[in-house]
Amino acid sequence: MTNHCTKFMIASVAASAALGASQAQAAGVTAGTLIQNTASASYGSGSSTTTVNSNTVSIRVDELLDVAVTSLNAAAVPLASTAVLTYRIDNTGNGSEAFSINVSPTVSGNGFDATVQTIAIDSNDNGTYEPGVDTVIANGGSTPALAADASTRVFVVVAQPSGTADGAASQVRVTAQALTGAGTPGTSFAGQGQGGGDAVVGATTANANALGSLIASSASVALVKSYVVVDPFGGAKPVPGAVVTFTIAATASGSGMVNDLHVIDAIPTGTTYVANSVTLEGASQTDATDGDAAIASSSGIDVTIGALAGGTSRSVTFKTTIN
Amino acid sequence: MIRIISTLLAFALATSPAMAQQTPSVVLEGDVKLEKTVEASGAKKTVLEDPKVVVPGDKLLFSTRYANKGSQSVDNFVVTNPVPQAVRVADDSASALQVSVDGGKAYGLLASLTVKDAAGAARAARAEDITHIRWTVPAIAPGGSGTVEYHAIVR
Repeated sequence: MTNHCTKFMIASVAASAALGASQAQAAGVTAGTLIQNTASASYGSGSSTTTVNSNTVSIRVDELLDVAVTSLNAAAVPLASTAVLTYRIDNTGNGSEAFSINVSPTVSGNGFDATVQTIAIDSNDNGTYEPGVDTVIANGGSTPALAADASTRVFVVVAQPSGTADGAASQVRVTAQALTGAGTPGTSFAGQGQGGGDAVVGATTANANALGSLIASSASVALVKSYVVVDPFGGAKPVPGAVVTFTIAATASGSGMVNDLHVIDAIPTGTTYVANSVTLEGASQTDATDGDAAIASSSGIDVTIGALAGGTSRSVTFKTTIN
Repeated sequence: MIRIISTLLAFALATSPAMAQQTPSVVLEGDVKLEKTVEASGAKKTVLEDPKVVVPGDKLLFSTRYANKGSQSVDNFVVTNPVPQAVRVADDSASALQVSVDGGKAYGLLASLTVKDAAGAARAARAEDITHIRWTVPAIAPGGSGTVEYHAIVR
């Protein structure tokens, strides 16, 4: 009896090792795995010992359709001109599955609705949006097939619509749905599961979404113009020959940044521009189109300030003489 | 879901040396059912059905029916069932049956067994550690029969 038992044990271990291809995972046994159960018995009868096996019952594990979506931005992303929101799509089912991706910038409670520019799959899986590298998909397009327990990132590039108030909040919803199908848990799609079985909607309804948050970051510019007159007699009377120094203070406000800012002014009629008199923050500028910020002529000035962050200001001056 | 029932009996007959001497008088017949909890008029009850759709988390009932077809009584009747890797034994069966957590070398009640964790330290065995289940029937009279069964959950 002991001999027979030992022999049988070895055989049964081998049989269960053959099933080892079906490794257990967080999402459960991979769809298509066969669960095979065989019992055996040994017994004495008279003086001999006998072993006998049962038939093998075999059932195939069907595919569970489940998905999870997570926003990977820990805090609201500042949105000046454009911003990138990152989401993760997890295949929490037990079979290979692709998911459709729908992006909606219209979410109840939004202070503004961002403009969706680009939706991309993190093809090289490095977590950073790289234009030209990551695969762009249309809204409603799908991810590549993800293995059970695998995940991918989705980038959503959004732009700030014009007229958005500084500090306004917005959310963007990304929804993923199993391509095989979705619906009430338990809904099954015959023969459409991985490995030839059925596909069954799991507890997540095979449809999930997450919200990414944005906060508008914009700035506006205020220009304040003032002047000082110095007449040829040491006074401040606007008489012919008096020199008028104009000062234009450009001040940006808001949490964002103003880009490509130029201060442009015309020379007042009845006055003559004093050549090379433009200053920016006290530094003299030449009139020529050269390396410095200013271009000026008898008709007017154009001073390039460029980017100006909210809360900062720049001062431009120029001189004319009264004719 | 495709249900395959193959008979390994013929195979066993051909290869087991014991078989050459004597036709086995005991026949084993395995079966599997899907256990579902249904709610009818507010009361929950468990029903057994043929497994058509099986997904992780489902509860299965594996049963093995034995019958002594011979004319002699058999004794020391021991049924051994390796647990398929894709399932874990359900808690009710795990705590009540003679089980092994080491590939069938040693058997006992689960509460008395330990396994070594990754660091080599012993810890109490859990239901998911069970590799084999064993039932012992002292004797089966000619014509006698019975069923052994265990509940399992698809991993």
